[in-house]
Amino acid sequence: MSQSLSSECTPLKKEYDSCFNSWFEGYLEPAVANSKSPEVRAAYSKQKADEFNLKCGKIWEQYRTCVQVQQAVKEKGLDKLLQQAREENPLVDPIPPLPTQPSSK
Amino acid sequence: MRFFSQSFVYDDSWSIVALAFFLRYPNPYASHVISCDVISREQTPSGSLVTTRLILKKGAMPRWFPKGIVSRAESWVIEESEVDPFGKVVRCVTKNLDHVKVMQVEESVQFAQNAEGKTLQHTEARIVSRFGWGLTKKIENHGLTRFKANMQRSREGVSLILSLIRESRLQPM
Repeated sequence: MSQSLSSECTPLKKEYDSCFNSWFEGYLEPAVANSKSPEVRAAYSKQKADEFNLKCGKIWEQYRTCVQVQQAVKEKGLDKLLQQAREENPLVDPIPPLPTQPSSK
Repeated sequence: MRFFSQSFVYDDSWSIVALAFFLRYPNPYASHVISCDVISREQTPSGSLVTTRLILKKGAMPRWFPKGIVSRAESWVIEESEVDPFGKVVRCVTKNLDHVKVMQVEESVQFAQNAEGKTLQHTEARIVSRFGWGLTKKIENHGLTRFKANMQRSREGVSLILSLIRESRLQPM
């Protein structure tokens, strides 16, 4: 796991990353794959969010606060650039299928 | 503007490639990555995970580039990704936040499960320079050459991480 932009936050980042990664492994393989039902997806989202908060919520808050408190982002003049980039490129889901992808249905 | 696109198939399943993609820093093929932070991460009601990461990368200016214009050859990169575990798709867009007038590289990559249970990676890149001074084309061509070379290294990095994950799970391919 790589460094944080502020060395003060690197230990927190590493702890967060390893907690997230083990949560993420499970997140990637929902028991009901390929569900189009919004209810199934919403329930899964809720269940996984709860699981994440229980396991990693605390370290995530600490890590995020550290990056913010260091004001590393702001000091480096990045806040405006970030805002701009996100407005230009808002992510909306669900993701449309790849045009070149052979159908897996 | 220079445009580039390429597709590639990994033999591994989508979930392992998606994991490797998010674990790809650091690796020996990405020594140019100085730092990488998660700025925000949220789950959408539809079950997707949306992440913004801020990455600092080291770069090098070509020898022919005029001196004194770019004071430090480092670049902040924003990476926005969305992971849909139901549709088995990762979509990720990255672009540099500074030096954008010299050159902006916007890369979008998708990892999707294909019919054989393997993982298709599709990458597109747009390379734009607004530098002028008769150098625009040269800068864009240079950017394209570098992008292609970096893509090869990036894939080697992901492949290395994939083999490490396989090893740790003791699931030989």
